[in-house]
Amino acid sequence: MTDTLQEHADPTLHKGEPLVEMIDVGKTYGAIRALEGINMVVNAGEVTCVLGDNGAGKSTLIKIISGLHPHNEGHVKVDGEEVHFRTPRESLAHGIATVYQDLAVVSLMEVWRNFFLGSEMTGSKLPLSGMKIKDMRRIADEELRKMGIVVKDIDQPIGTLSGGQRQCVAIARAVYFGARVLILDEPTAALGVKQSGVVLKYTAAARDAGLGVVFITHNPHHAYLVGNHFIILKLGQAVLDKKRSEVNLDELTRQMAGGDELTELAHELEGTRG
Amino acid sequence: MSTPVKTAPPTPAEASNRVQVTWTTRLLGRPEIGALVAAIVIFIFFLIVAPAFRTPAAFFTVLYQSSTIGIVAVGVGMLMIGGEFDLSAGVLVTSAGLINGMLCYQLGLNLWVGVIISLLFCLGVGFTNGYLVMRTGIPSFLITLGMFFVLQGANLGVTKVVTGSVSSPNINQMDGFQSLNFIFAHEFKIGSVTLSITVIWWLLFVVLSAWILQRTKIGNWIFAVGGNAASARAVGVPVTRVKIGLFMTVSFLCWFTGMHYLYRFVTLQAGNGVGNEFLYIIAAVVGGTLLTGGYGNAWGVAIGAFIFGMTSLCIVYAGWDPNWFKAFLGVMLLLAVMVNLYVKRLSTLRKVG
Amino acid sequence: MIPIRSAKGRALGRSRKGLTLTALAAAALLALSACSGGGAPPAPENQGGGGGGGESGYTLAMITHESPGDTFWDRIRAGAEQAAKDTGSTLKYSADPDATKQAVLIQNAIDSKVDGIATTLVTPDALIPTVQKAVQAGIPVDSFNSGLDYYKQAGALTHFSSDERLAGQEAGKRMKAAGATKILCTIQQTGSVALEDRCAGVKDSVPNTENLQVNGQDDSAVTSAIQAKLTQDKDINWVITLGAPQAMDTLKAFEGSGSSAKVGTFDTRPDAAQAVKDGKIQFYIDQQPYLQGYMAVTQLYLFKKNGNILGGGKPVLTGPTFVDSSNIDTILPFVQNNTR
Repeated sequence: MTDTLQEHADPTLHKGEPLVEMIDVGKTYGAIRALEGINMVVNAGEVTCVLGDNGAGKSTLIKIISGLHPHNEGHVKVDGEEVHFRTPRESLAHGIATVYQDLAVVSLMEVWRNFFLGSEMTGSKLPLSGMKIKDMRRIADEELRKMGIVVKDIDQPIGTLSGGQRQCVAIARAVYFGARVLILDEPTAALGVKQSGVVLKYTAAARDAGLGVVFITHNPHHAYLVGNHFIILKLGQAVLDKKRSEVNLDELTRQMAGGDELTELAHELEGTRG
Repeated sequence: MSTPVKTAPPTPAEASNRVQVTWTTRLLGRPEIGALVAAIVIFIFFLIVAPAFRTPAAFFTVLYQSSTIGIVAVGVGMLMIGGEFDLSAGVLVTSAGLINGMLCYQLGLNLWVGVIISLLFCLGVGFTNGYLVMRTGIPSFLITLGMFFVLQGANLGVTKVVTGSVSSPNINQMDGFQSLNFIFAHEFKIGSVTLSITVIWWLLFVVLSAWILQRTKIGNWIFAVGGNAASARAVGVPVTRVKIGLFMTVSFLCWFTGMHYLYRFVTLQAGNGVGNEFLYIIAAVVGGTLLTGGYGNAWGVAIGAFIFGMTSLCIVYAGWDPNWFKAFLGVMLLLAVMVNLYVKRLSTLRKVG
Repeated sequence: MIPIRSAKGRALGRSRKGLTLTALAAAALLALSACSGGGAPPAPENQGGGGGGGESGYTLAMITHESPGDTFWDRIRAGAEQAAKDTGSTLKYSADPDATKQAVLIQNAIDSKVDGIATTLVTPDALIPTVQKAVQAGIPVDSFNSGLDYYKQAGALTHFSSDERLAGQEAGKRMKAAGATKILCTIQQTGSVALEDRCAGVKDSVPNTENLQVNGQDDSAVTSAIQAKLTQDKDINWVITLGAPQAMDTLKAFEGSGSSAKVGTFDTRPDAAQAVKDGKIQFYIDQQPYLQGYMAVTQLYLFKKNGNILGGGKPVLTGPTFVDSSNIDTILPFVQNNTR
């Protein structure tokens, strides 16, 4: 996978340069306020972790960067230029690839069609030119193997794969097509421990290849393993915004949890400390 | 920051449950196979029961009837794969012919001008259907139902105002008729058999549709948009443009069929076309297209149209009382859909490994 | 990978291309319209209009079972409108091919307290009860076109129509005399006593008659069905259709099946009348729909004004008249003018 990352990463990336900047960004859905006053910078070669409980606004943040919903307030800049994405297509055109929490796959379609959806390989620029189907099937199969997934038949509908396998397809897709920024929305949510480890390794590899990575999770342990920068959202606002050097795992955990959640977290802490 | 991860995880060994998919299983999994089986069964049944069906001339009559439904069904099938319905397709066919005929007759224009204006009108209707569906979020079933009533009323009302009656004027003395009649309504006489040019056009449209759906980027988008529009949008598929394009494809094929009716039958009854919109949908469903979208095939839709044409005419060929036609058609279609479902289930069962 | 291009650049290119395409299209259309010919003859001075002069002020309702798009009813309505004009009455026309809905329309007329109702009795059982209510409410009713055997029962003053059964019998005799041994009778609508009577009449004269139900709303379906029937049964040497559009479709079916059968039809329309003149259709049976509509309205006016009743206790026949090559020339201009 790392070689895929190296191949597909944009060669003009410089470590530390700001790829995506969000300045005072806010979003309201009618009368409901989802985000307010968010300031975030995604630098090349760094992993920015966005944490928070359910309903904190993490998904909304992602949807703004990936182009699913436009922001109401504030500014979003990509490569220094102000942007206002109206469709995910525009976001993808800027080299931003997203793995969504609900995976964004079409159950009835074959695995390889899902892999290349929106970025199909065609013989020429003409609207009705044929797709390079043989190549697409081969590449989809190869990329999945690199993630540790061997599907029985690359032509089977993606709905017949398990939840974890589908997630891997979604991640492999983003890694393959992401050239500058990789957004992972709860990538380890449906995965077991071993596969979570694989995903975290790839997150780190993406960072090292120079990409800017946005990693959303409500698991501070996973976040701390790979993150360079941490933001915690609570009810649409940022309650913590620190670099790795400024915060440790306990602090992160304590800030995230509160009250009842702490007991469950303590249980997890016991497990990893062993 | 940690050092870059150099070692990739080991490539897993070949999964033990990897199934070598045989070509028979692959064949059974295709949506149109059920329809093909049903078609063959019905075909053989009528060959036995209806002696008049055994002539080549009869077969080509069936092909003609199938093609007048099949051409629009190609578009309606693609639209259904894309997750939408169009109930205005039946009357739009008549609108296309009426506009061409009346406009040119009243203004003394060359028929070709009317052809183009009619095309623009039909594309406009398709665009309106698609735009309204995408903009308002109201189900296409309802939007196109409204459009159906508008067109049905307009067909009658406008014709009445312009010609004083409900049939369009006779245009076969007008400039352009000969060439247009050739393109849209020519009949090739090959021995005892009459091959209508619509059959050739139908096959061309089917091939084009199959190519688009199975082998192009746009086809991929159509399946995605019908299967899960939200997912498609999230990965950059231009959903609105695809759906509007599909509605316009249906209306283009309605225009084409309307031109055939005009140049073959010359005088059109303004009330015609009502009821055909369901035939297009039936052809698509019998051919294996899922009502909920995201699954289907151009060849299946063609086979569905053929099953309809065959059934409707073979009842006559068999000498049965045609009053039973509708009932028999219903039974045939139910059987076709069930065979379809059975074959599809058979293929899925085999895949489990 | 989607190439990174500025959205602005793409939009500009699109708009320039769009402009060029539109300009080219407009130029092409202009050029084509220059080479045009044929089309509508200059409008005649008097399209069956004029007349008037009456001042009755009556409101008369006419309710039929018109199927939307059936040209036959254009002429009934034209006659009714002219009669209304001539007598200075107001005509309220409504129609529905579904008999139960037609009954509701008659009820509407009763509720609006019109001065007279003219209606068809196509499906007598469904319509007679409501017609009787109208009569009880003191509104004079007359009937036309369908229901010859039922108008008295309904309480109608009189009835204007052709005798469908008689027409069928005469048609049968005529076809037999011309050599018919097996006749195909095509029915394009369901549930109409008039249409069923026509085929029954044909069968009275020529027992070897077979009916064929066709979908009157789709010309290609009609053509294919008749073509199929002619192929299936080579004994058929005459076809009689119950509507002019179906006769035109039959001509196409002849071409397609290579059949040497002949065709006659009930009712007409301009191109079918022309086909009779050209000898392609052997005859059409004229029930003079214009006259039916005109008389139905005029009878109501005369009854309201003077208590006049036509018919002498019997229906007033407007047909059947057989129109063939011998008398088509005098009649053709009236058909084309929509006044027969």
